Formats: sequence, structure tokens, C-alpha cells
Amino acid sequence: MNLTAHSASMAETIAFAILSAGVLAGGLLTITRRNPVSAVMSLVLTFAALAGLFATLSAHFLAVLQILVYAGAIMVLFVFVVMMVNREESTPIARQGLCTRAVGVLAAGYVFYRVAWLVGHERGMPLLAASATPPVKDFGTVSSVGALLFSDFLFPFEAISLLLLVAVIGGVMLTRHVREDRPSRVS
Amino acid sequence: MPSELRIIPLLPLLGAAYLILFGRRHSRKAVHRIACLAVGAAFLVSVDVFFFWFPMLVQSDGLTDLVGTWFASGDLQVDLALRMDGLSGLMCLVVSFVGTLIHVYSTGYMAHDKDYVRFFAYLNLFCGAMLLLVLGDSLPVMFIGWEGVGLCSYLLIGFWYGEAANASAGKKAFITNRVGDLGFLIGMFLLFRAAGTLDIPVLVDTARAGSPTLTATLWWGQPVAFWAALFLFMGAVGKSAQIPLYVWLPDAMAGPTPVSALIHAATMVTAGVYMVARLGALYLLAPAALAIVAGVGALTAVFAAVVALGQNDFKKVLAYSTISQLGFMFVGVGTGNFAGGVFHLFTHAFFKAGLFLCAGSVMHAMAGSGDISRMGGLAHKLPWTTWVFRVCGLAICGVPIFSGFFSKDAIVARAFATAVFGPRLHWIGPTVGAGLLAAALGTAFYMSRLYYLVFTGECRADLHTREHLHESPVAMLGPMLVLGLGALLAGVVGLPSAVSRSHGDLVGHWLTDSVGPALEVSSGLQWRVMAISTVIALAGIGLAWQFFGGGVREPARRFVTAWPHLTAAVRGKFFVDEIYNWLVVRPLRGLSRVFFLVVDRILIDQLLVGGWTVLVDTAGRLLRLVQVGDVQRYLAIFAIGLAALVYVMARPAAPSEVKIRIEGHSAVVELGDGAADKLDYGFDFDGDGLDDRSGAAASANWVYPQPGHYQLRVRITDPRWNTSRTIERTIDIQ
Amino acid sequence: MPTYAYILVSLALFFVGAAGVLLRRNVLIVLMSVELQLAAGTLALLSFSRALGDQKGHVFAFFVMALAAAEAAVGLAIVVSVFRTRRTASLDEVNGLKG
Repeated sequence: MNLTAHSASMAETIAFAILSAGVLAGGLLTITRRNPVSAVMSLVLTFAALAGLFATLSAHFLAVLQILVYAGAIMVLFVFVVMMVNREESTPIARQGLCTRAVGVLAAGYVFYRVAWLVGHERGMPLLAASATPPVKDFGTVSSVGALLFSDFLFPFEAISLLLLVAVIGGVMLTRHVREDRPSRVS
Repeated sequence: MPSELRIIPLLPLLGAAYLILFGRRHSRKAVHRIACLAVGAAFLVSVDVFFFWFPMLVQSDGLTDLVGTWFASGDLQVDLALRMDGLSGLMCLVVSFVGTLIHVYSTGYMAHDKDYVRFFAYLNLFCGAMLLLVLGDSLPVMFIGWEGVGLCSYLLIGFWYGEAANASAGKKAFITNRVGDLGFLIGMFLLFRAAGTLDIPVLVDTARAGSPTLTATLWWGQPVAFWAALFLFMGAVGKSAQIPLYVWLPDAMAGPTPVSALIHAATMVTAGVYMVARLGALYLLAPAALAIVAGVGALTAVFAAVVALGQNDFKKVLAYSTISQLGFMFVGVGTGNFAGGVFHLFTHAFFKAGLFLCAGSVMHAMAGSGDISRMGGLAHKLPWTTWVFRVCGLAICGVPIFSGFFSKDAIVARAFATAVFGPRLHWIGPTVGAGLLAAALGTAFYMSRLYYLVFTGECRADLHTREHLHESPVAMLGPMLVLGLGALLAGVVGLPSAVSRSHGDLVGHWLTDSVGPALEVSSGLQWRVMAISTVIALAGIGLAWQFFGGGVREPARRFVTAWPHLTAAVRGKFFVDEIYNWLVVRPLRGLSRVFFLVVDRILIDQLLVGGWTVLVDTAGRLLRLVQVGDVQRYLAIFAIGLAALVYVMARPAAPSEVKIRIEGHSAVVELGDGAADKLDYGFDFDGDGLDDRSGAAASANWVYPQPGHYQLRVRITDPRWNTSRTIERTIDIQ
Repeated sequence: MPTYAYILVSLALFFVGAAGVLLRRNVLIVLMSVELQLAAGTLALLSFSRALGDQKGHVFAFFVMALAAAEAAVGLAIVVSVFRTRRTASLDEVNGLKG
């Protein structure tokens, strides 16, 4: 009993280590690639690893969605746009205002450091120390999350669907070709 | 109590309102009919009320008409109430009677003016305000009328506002009056503070009873009554054109002549005299204030009479004459002879209004010019006017049997006999009496000079004007004749007791209840004063004949060459206007300029208004540098801000440091760095597993009984997350 | 694994995304970095959801995902539109809105 729990924990640790390494490596690759296509591919790697991490958190539904929506649909969108606007850039980092942005990155680093330190310092509290799947039936499955979405969160769910509709219409309006001989209705 | 009292001021006020609102729809005829009817009806109602209730009026407190409570605030309750007693009844009759006559006169005099409606509306408004002033039962109500007549005076002086001089004369009158009004207000406040009421009858009763509320010392050893009386007199000085605030009245002659007759001779300017008489009991409590009133009156009487000698404008002479005569009245009320002052006011209303109407008639004939050096010999062309002028002139000169003779002597005789000043100030009575006699000489002289220069000798006008000379229409002559008759006969109501013991001093009897009993003067003194004043009047007239009979004669020219500076000073009105200009107007203007430059320009315009724009502008320019249009830099700044926020806010919930101080046998434990106020602490000093100290305090101390090694354990619990942490240390106690 | 380990990964991923957003010139990579940051937030949401045993975190993660999809759609449309008018996909060359 004790042994199985331990070995399960062992396997979980290894899985976590690999997946989180994949996430961070993918993220770093994404922001360092000169070629946008490479960046998109690294992002796919990140999202795939992230979906694995979701699975270790018993978020099965979200893991599947992550793969479908992000690694699938959104990434395809990115690839398309990359194809349309791809221009090889000579300098990946703009010179103008570099100082400000460097300070900004340092500030973001400080935020990361400080919050990480806090999390480490307070890792003893139950919220941060919890390591097991909670004793909730069907935790993170499609049926239980779906039940929640269609009961307590029905209104936000419908609102977010409206948001997506607006985004679709907005995308169409923005990218529409305006013909020269006809006056634009979008000014 | 009769409620028709309120009708008296209401009629002219309604007339004014109607004319202002709808007057333009009517013909000239309808306009002056409405106006005359309003005032005439007010006169008839006054007559009705006055004579119907006559016994009651003169033998009790009079009739009161309470319209309602005007306002009540704290202890102060002011009723909109009107009261008619002997004094206000007489004033009411004078005002409405003279007012009616002058309305009628104006229909002729203003016949060719384009602003006919406006003129009659103002005249009606004036009559309403004046009647309200007279009938007002409390000082605030009186003050409405007081301000109302001031407003009408301003409006009518500047009636022909097209000329800047007229408009500024109106402003001068208004501003000068405001100076006095301030005094009136302060006097009112003082009385309210002391007596707690502003009702005139209550105040008068309080004063008559010699109540300590009014006799208590206020400032510089003088009682409340003195200061209140003095400040109220300041209002009277402004309204009644006494030294030093008389300067507006000569300029007020810029208005149409009927206005000068009604407002600036017969009625409004006497409001100050009326007010002092009304509050006579108050003044009697303060002999020093009375002395000031009498002194100012006498000084003004003499001064204005002298200035009148050197004026060459018909109306200016009459204006200074009015100032001088008002001085007579103030000497009357200032010597405690309130009935005498009011009697002179009464007769003066007739003869001075008559004189002004004559002036109007003459100027009407002379195409608007009032320069007496261009007149002369008008007696043949204007016979009726000349006769009225003669009667009114003799009345003002104080020639026996004319009204002015009796009223003037009533003042002079009682001034010599008065005892109101007490033993210490007794000399004031005879002094002001003598001053009045001197002023009477001047009066006779300037009045006769005016007559001789205007009506006798050769006409000095140019040919065109001379051909144009004509007697005035009936609408003008009628009122003049009535006033002339009044000037002749008005004296009968105040015959000296020496002349007629049974019918003497009727006015004094009527006013006994309003202003107190008149002073009885011995017949011998009365006869002596009458004799002296007759001699003085005749001397003045004779002297004027020597100088100006039939035009400017040789003695007058010799006098001018012998005394060039004196004549220049008199002609220049002793340069009082210029002195005021230097003393008051210029410093005030300089001060205004300083304020304008410092406060308005620099402080407000530049600092407050401009300063903000500069601030906003500069801030905008600076912020513009941040607005670079680069999204990434905005985000970088956002990240910096977030870092700052995290630096300030992100603190660990539980302390991470433990400080232990050992002092001898005692140990002090302090925990730092954390949201300490949210946590619970347990301190176990001796390692026995039990908390020796616990609670929300982040520090604790403990005294060890003996030396040795001890296990110190601190348990920190965070109730928010139900987290606890234990820190252990080993300590050494020597 | 304890929750704090997931939170640390989430923080690190968020920082990586932030660095990308702040530094990169290519607007597409900046958008991808934003996606990284959103994903980091999702991870934190799911971690705490598990620690608390409450599936509301999953619902919010779902919403974040939908939001990210909408953002990507509009953001990429703007990129296309800007590229069409200005022939550039570099963020520092799109700075017309300045004082």
C-alpha cells in the first residue's frame, strides 16, 4: 500500500519533471526562434507538454481541449498568418527603447523571483502542499466540468460564446479586402 | 384697524408696475392719466384716512395696518406693517399732494420727451416707495422705502442717460447715498442688539421709558442710544444731503426739473429729517447726538447758503438752497424741536417745489437752458411764473405772513430756548440759532439775486431764444399756482403761540403723540426773533437789490474785484468736489487699480487661471515624452509598476526570523517580517511541550529560574489557511 | 506532485512569456508569448483547482482558453490588416499612436 503509493508518486515525479522541462524548454524556444515557423512549432511542443501537465493534475477535459484548441486550431491559425506576413527580420530585438524594455524584463524577473520565493517560503500551507487528487467523484472529467458549465456557469458560458462570435466577425471585418472602386464602409 | 392704509403706497406701486409692463401699449394721454390717477387716488385715500381718523391719529399711537409677517429669524421678527399717526399722516399728505401736483406738471413739462412711459413709471415708483418709507412701522420696512426712493432718485437723475454727465450724476447720488445707508444699517443692527426689536413704536416706547438697554454704555463712555442715533443720522446725512455727504444733490439737478422738485426738494431729501423726528425719543436720550445733528445742520445751512450766492445755474442755486433749508430742518430736530423741523419740512415742500417748478417753467421757455447770466427781464414774458416765484421766494426769504417765515422762526426761536443739550452743551442752542440767522441772511440774498437776475432788467438771451419765450401751458401753471398758494398759506397750521394763542402751533399739537410735546417759548423771545428775522430778510433783499437789481450792478462788480479769491472759492463751491476727488475718489481708484493689478491680473488671471493652464500644459508636455507609441515600452513600464507593487505588498504570511535577546536570566523573543497581525503565536520557553506565552503578540519574554540549556520552541499559526509552523532554538542561560 | 511545484512552473512560464512580449520585435512572436502567459495562468488555475478540490477552476480555465482563442483571432486579424497597409510585421514600426 505504502509502496504502491510511493512508486506512483515516483512515476508522477518523473512525469512532472519531463513535462515541465518540456513546457519551459518549449517556451524558451518559442521566444528565441528567429524564424516564426520554428517558434510556432516550439509553441506546439509547449502546449503539448502543458496538456500532459494538465493530465497529471487530473484535468482530463482541459488537457484534451488544450491539444484540440491550442495545439490544433490556434496554432494552425498562427501558421497561416505566418505564411501570409512572413518577413525575415534582420534584428529580432528592436534597438529603440531597449533600455526601458530591459528594465521591464528585469522588473518581470523580480516579480517572478519574489513570488517564487514566497511560494517556496509558504510551501508548508495546505493549499500549496496538497499533492493528491482530491476526493471528488469524476474530478476533471468532461461530464462533471460540462455539468458545471451548463448549470452554475451557464450565463458566462453563453457570454463567452458571444465573445467568440464577436471575435469571428471582428476578424472578418478587419481582414476583408476593401475594393478601390467602392467606398469603404469601415472608416 | 383700517386696512386701507396699505392701499396708499400700493396704488402708485401698482401704477408703476402696470406702466413698466404694459405702458408702451397706451397713448401718451392714457399713460399720464394712469400715473396721475394712481398718485391722486393715493392722495385722496390719505386725505380720507387722515381726516376720518383724525382724532385717533393725533391722540393715540395712530392706526396700524398689519399686512403680515415679512420675515422671522431667531429673535428677530419683522412685520410688514404700516402705521399712520400725526407725523406719518402729515408726511403722507405732503408726499402724495406734492407728488400729484408734480405728476400733473410733468404732463406738460415732459410732453415732448420720447421716454414718456418710463418717466411716469419711475415717478409712480418713487411715490410708492416714499409712501412706504413714511408709513413703514418698523425700521426694515422704512428701509425698503429708503432704498426704493434712492433707486428712483438714481433712475431719474440719470433719466437722460444718453449724456455721460447725467449718468455719472446718478451714480454719484447712488454711491454717496450708499455710504449713508451703511450707517443706517449699522444703526439698525445696534438697536436690534440692544433692544431686540426693530418696530418703531416699541423702540420709541423703550426710549421714552429711558430703558437701560438703550442707556447702557457701549463705546467710549457713550450709551447705545448715542451710537445708534449717530449711525442712523449718518443715513440721514446721506439721504438729506448734509455735510459731508451733500455733494450728490447739486449734481442731481441733471435730472428733469419735475424730478428735482419732487425728489430733490420736496420729499425724498426730507426723509432724513423725518427719520430723526420719528425716532426723536431715541435722540433725546443722547444729547451729544442731538448736538451733532444740530451742529451739522447749522453748518450745512450756512455753508450751502454761501455757496448758493455764487452759482449761475438756476437749478444749482435752488439745489444749494435746498441743502441749506434741510440744514434748517436738522437744526430744528437737532434742538429737540421735532415738530418745528417737520413744520419747516411741510412749508418747504410747498415753496421749494414751487420754486423748482418755476425753474422748470423758465427753462421750458428758455429751451432747456438754466444759465441765469443769459436770462433777465422774463417778468413780462412769463407773468404767472413770475408771480409764483415771487410768492415762493418771499416765503423762503422769511418775509412775514409767508409760510417760511413762521416755520423758520419756529426753529430759530426754539433753538435759542432749548434745554435738551443739558447744562454742559447749552451753548449749542444759541450758537446754531445765530448760525441760522446768518444763513437766513444768505438765503434772502441769493433768492433775491436769483429773482433780479432772472426776472428783472434787460433780457440777455440771444435773439432766437428771446423770440421763442412763452408762458408755460396750463398743465404746468396749475400745479405752480397751487403750490404758490400753499407757500403763501401753509404757515397757518403753525402760527407762533405769540401770534395766536388759541390756534397757534397746530402742527405741534398734532405731532405731540408722535414726537413729544413742543417746547413752549416765551412770547417775548418769539417777538424778538420775528423782528430780527424780518429785519434780516428785508436786509438781504435790499442788499441783493443794491448788487443785482435789474442786472449785475456796480457794487457787485466792485465786490468781485475787491475779493477775487473769495468769489472764486464761492463760485467753485469751495472746491469740495475736487477735495473729495483727491481724498476719496483718487485713493479709492488707486487702490482698485492695485487690486486689479495684483489680485485680478496677477493672482487670479496669471496664477490661478494661467497657473493651472501652465501646470496642465507642462504636465502634458512631460507626459507626452512617455507616450512613445511603442506598445512594448508601455508594457515594460507596466511591469516596473507591477514589480513595485509586488515589492510593497508581497510579504510572507508567517515570520521567517527569530530574534532572541538574553539579558541575565531573562530571554526576549521577537519575531519579525510578516503579516504579524493576522497570526497566532505560541511560545514554549522551557521545552516542556506547553505554551508558556500565547496570543497575537509577536514577541514574548520569560525569566528562567536557573541557568542551563533550554529548548525554545515558537509555534506560529495562520488561521486563514489553518497552517502552522514551528521554529526551534536552543539557548544558553548562564 | 505538490501544488507549489506546478505554481513554480507556471511562474517560470509566465516570466518567459513576459520576456518574449517585452523583447521580441516580430509581432507574431509577441502574440505567441501572450499565449504562453495565458497558458501559464491556466496552469495555475488548474493547480489550485486540484488543491482545493473544486472544479470551478476548470471552468475558468475553459473560459481562459476561449478568451485566448478570441484574442488570437482578433490579434492575428489586426496583424494581417496592419501588414496589408504598412507592409510590416515589426512592432517598433507600428507606433503611430504617440504624443
